[in-house]
Order: sequence, then structure tokens, then C-alpha cells
Amino acid sequence: MTSIAKSIATAAGLAVFSSSAVLAEEITVSAWGGFFEETLRDVIYPGFTAETGIEVRSIAQPADQAWMTQLTNAARARKAPADLSLVADEVLIRGRNIGLWASLDAEAMPDTSGLLEGRVVSDGDGTYGVGALSWFVTFVTNTEYTTDAPASWADLWTVDWDGKLALLSNANSGLLEITAVTHFGGYDVLDTREGIEKVIAKISELKPQVNLWYRDEGQFQQGLEAGEYNAGLYYHDVTMLSAMDGKAVQSNFPAEGGVLSDAYWVVPRDSKNVDAAQKFINYMSRADVQAEMARNLGIFPVVPREATDLTDEEFASVGSDITPIRVQTEMHLREADWLSDKYLEMISQ
Amino acid sequence: MRRAALPYAIGLFPLGMMVLFFVGPLAFMIVVSFYESDPLGFYKIAFVWENYGKFFSSFYYTISLRSLWSASLGAVLVVLLAFPAMYIIVDMPRRWQLFWVILLLALMCLSEVIIGFAWVIVLSESSGVPKFLGWIGLWENPRSLAPSFGAMMIGYITLGFSLVALMFFPQMAQRDRSIEEAALTLGTPPLQVVTKVILPTFRPAILSSLVTMFVYFLGVYVMPTMLGRPQNWNMTVIITDKAVGDANMPLGAALSVIMLLFTLLVIGALWLASRKGRAS
Repeated sequence: MTSIAKSIATAAGLAVFSSSAVLAEEITVSAWGGFFEETLRDVIYPGFTAETGIEVRSIAQPADQAWMTQLTNAARARKAPADLSLVADEVLIRGRNIGLWASLDAEAMPDTSGLLEGRVVSDGDGTYGVGALSWFVTFVTNTEYTTDAPASWADLWTVDWDGKLALLSNANSGLLEITAVTHFGGYDVLDTREGIEKVIAKISELKPQVNLWYRDEGQFQQGLEAGEYNAGLYYHDVTMLSAMDGKAVQSNFPAEGGVLSDAYWVVPRDSKNVDAAQKFINYMSRADVQAEMARNLGIFPVVPREATDLTDEEFASVGSDITPIRVQTEMHLREADWLSDKYLEMISQ
Repeated sequence: MRRAALPYAIGLFPLGMMVLFFVGPLAFMIVVSFYESDPLGFYKIAFVWENYGKFFSSFYYTISLRSLWSASLGAVLVVLLAFPAMYIIVDMPRRWQLFWVILLLALMCLSEVIIGFAWVIVLSESSGVPKFLGWIGLWENPRSLAPSFGAMMIGYITLGFSLVALMFFPQMAQRDRSIEEAALTLGTPPLQVVTKVILPTFRPAILSSLVTMFVYFLGVYVMPTMLGRPQNWNMTVIITDKAVGDANMPLGAALSVIMLLFTLLVIGALWLASRKGRAS
């Protein structure tokens, strides 16, 4: 329901913006609506405008796949809803395969060379995605139930959570990868369907402890703060904010690491402002801007820690040095329906 | 002839709108259901039965049976509660009638999400009914009552109750009470007045509200996801997961077409049954 409302709101917004987007030296940038888009608009973008004179129009975009559907429909009509968009890696890959993104000139974005390895994504036709920011999903706990930080993800299985675990209902939440790394020695087990089935069977052992398979983040967060749930998987940044608010929650990095995901900047194919968009990406890739985003948004930077001026305390509040667990997006795209059906079948039986 | 042209022209407008905004998208949905999904992209224009084939894997089949079960049970419960409630309300003094009707109307403007969240809180161990029962000592170790099938049914009932009650209102308020009085005066036991007089009078209204609620509950999304466990998720949830979550429009469309056929089948069967019932 809300995502539909958001889509309509976004579509209405787009209709207004696309008519004025022809004016040069103004770019439209979309990001996930809410706190995220608001903070980028109020805190981060003004620095770019001050430096380059390019005005930034910030718009809110809906969740990944819904946004991709809108971008696909807009591309059919040869329209770009925004000059820049923030997308998760799955949308990045799918969009490239159907030609949604413009090719960018890496030389026009010199500062992107300072990004962590793999954050400048290119194929034969050029660069099409540049890492924007990363975020962690961690093992969150309610401190009224236990103040012990879980040492390993294996604690999901071994500790008594009093039947009050909350996990995400979608297959690409990172739980498959957590299980593979914790119980099967790495991601190799996910190479075959037999392997994936073993991992899913291992996850199904958690079912007696799980009382919520959530898709609505608000429901989980509210429940965790209220003590309805004792532990679960959740965003590190949001949990830190709510802990700072004095709520009885704690975000923990187990020995195997948190689940790190990336968002990328892309330029929709039909954008008329590619040059300005490249300047924008270049600006957003700078270590000082990344540090600013870490401080204000709680995101994990896509530049090496040494390049930023983040203090130890600031760094610890946005992430950790432990090698992170990575969602195996290629595997999820390869197995697509088969995997999401198996997963759903497991949780709904 | 000339005079008839104007009403016709007025009638054409809603008809045109129906075609444009209902039949059009429906036709497009059927077309998309035959496209081939492309996990690495979006979809390819094709003509394949594959999406329909997927339905017959036992998994979707089970879920559609669950949807039918929860929707039928929800419809029956709502009518069972709303019918007697309205029966009592129409015999109240006018002020109280008005009060209840306004309350029911007010209930209808609440969004599904708000109702869902409200029930989550009311049924939670940290602030709701379980906590209260724990506090007065009736429940030693109170646990949240949601998510569960029962919680989901409570959500369904909250959604449908005012709608059904208001559907009954006009006919019930204007019914000829003398028939019931006559039956009672002639010595019919009250229970038989209900089964022999009142229920037959309202039979069409009861049937049509059952069908309306059944179709309505087949399409709810928020209640199953917020108040139900994964075991209670209905086809609408799965279709949304497929179409919006996985961006697999063809499969989502095919599953929707199948659910539509299911719905038509059930409505058709009920219609046939009610015709036979009248003929006998």
C-alpha cells in the first residue's frame, strides 16, 4: 500500500520536474525517500552547489524494484526521471542488462580512483555505476533481554532467544550468506542448488525461535525497542540512532562480520545532464564528503578508512574492520525465482 | 429518440472510463502473463505458458487454497457478527442509531496500515491485552498474540465489519416488522422466527455481502503481512512479492489471472446455488 502511494507521489513529482530539467546547470538527484533523502538534500548537496554552482533538485524514490519498474517505463518513453539515481547492486546489474544506464567517462571523475576496489563498475562500453555508500546489517539485540554481545552468528542457532527472533522474509536479506559463512565454511556451498538447499535447511532450524518474518522495517524496529523481539537482523545505522535515543537496543558485529551492501550512483540513459552528473559523482566520491556522509547519515564510506578523517569512535559507530559478509547478488539473480520460491516455501510451512 | 440520446451520452462516459481504466489494464495484465521474465533484466515479449505452469507446483497451489480458506472464513465471521449487531442497532432510539452509523462510517476511513499497527499494539505483550492479563494475574508469562492466524482474522473483521453492517442497514431499518410480530403472536418460538422469517427475508443481502467480503479478503495485503504468520500469507502477498519484490511481472500477472479465475468460479458457484435455492 505505502509503496504504491509513494510511486504515485514520485510519479507526480517527476512530471513536475522533468519539464524543468532542461535548464542547464541543474541536476535532479533521486535517493530513497525519508530521512535519507532529506539529510542528503539538507546537509550534503549544498556543499556541491557551493563548489560548482550546479543546483541540485532532490527527489525521493521508492524501494529498489519498484523504482526500477518506473525507470524502465520512463526509458521506454525516452525520459529520465532523474539525472542521477541511487541504486542497490541488483538494480545496477539488471538495469545495465536492459540498457537503462548511460555510460560515463571515468576520466571526468578523477576522484573515483580513490574509492575502494570494485566500486567503479564498468563493462566493454564504459563505466556505468560508481559506489555511493555502503551500509551494514548486523546482529541486533534487545539489551533488556541480554547485554551480552553475540560473539558469532552461530548464536542465532545456539542461544535461547525465548522464541523471539525476528528475521527478514526475503531471500536476499543476507541470512543465506551468513549461514553459508558460519556453518558451511564460505560462499562456495551456494554455487549449486543442492548446496543452497542445505543452507536453507539449516536456516529452517531457526524457525521455532522466530516469531516474526518481517518485510516492514518499522514493525520490527518498534517491536525490538519494545522488547517484543529479543534479537534479529537489522540495519546498523538505524539501530545506532535508536540506541543513541536511549532505547534498549544494541548493534553487534559477530566474528564473521556484518553484512555489507553497496549503493551506486547511476545516470539514467536519457539524462541530458551527463557532464554535470559526472561532476556530482566526482564530488560525492571525495574522502571528505564520504566522511561527512558517515557522520550525518551513519553510512559506511566507500573510500578506505585511512583516507577519511573519521575518528576511531566515529568509525566504530558506522561499521567495523572485520571482513564483511557480502550478499552474493550474482547468485541471487541466477537462481531468481527458484531461490525465492524455495525460501518462501521454507518459511511458510 | 432525441431525448434518449442525452442519457445515453452520459452513460457512455462511465462506460468509457471503465474500459479505459479497468478493462484496459486487465487486458494488459493478461498479455504480460504470457511474457517471459528475465531475471537479469525486466521481461521479454514472448508467448509462453511457463508462468502458468509454475502455479501448479504444489507450493502456489497450497497458498491459493490457504487464501480461499482465510477469505471464506473471514467473510463468514464478518457476516455472523455484523448481521446481529445491525439487527440490534436498528431497533435502538434514533440518537443511538445515528451514533453507531457515524462510528461505523468513521471506522471505514481508517487506513489498513493504521488498523494493522493498532492491533499489533493491542495484541502485544509489552503494552496490550496480554500485558493487562499478566498484570491482573490471569496470564503468568504473557506472550504477544500477533502474528497469528487469529490476529489476522481480527484484522479482517475490523476491515469488513463496518462495510457489511452498513450494507444491511437500509433494508433492515425499513423492513416490515409486523411479519415478525405476527409470527410471534401466533406462537412461533423466537428461534424459529429467526430461521423461518428473518433469515429468509435477508437471504439475498446475506449472500451478496458474503461474496463481497470473500472477494475483498482475497485481495488484502496489509493484514496478512502485519498480523499473520508466513503460514497465513495469501496469494496477494505472494503476487506482490513476485511483481514488486522480484520485479517478475509476468509471473505476478499469471498468478493474478489465476486468482481472478478462482474468484469468478466461486462467485459463479454461489450465484448458481442461490438461483437453485430460489427455484425450489
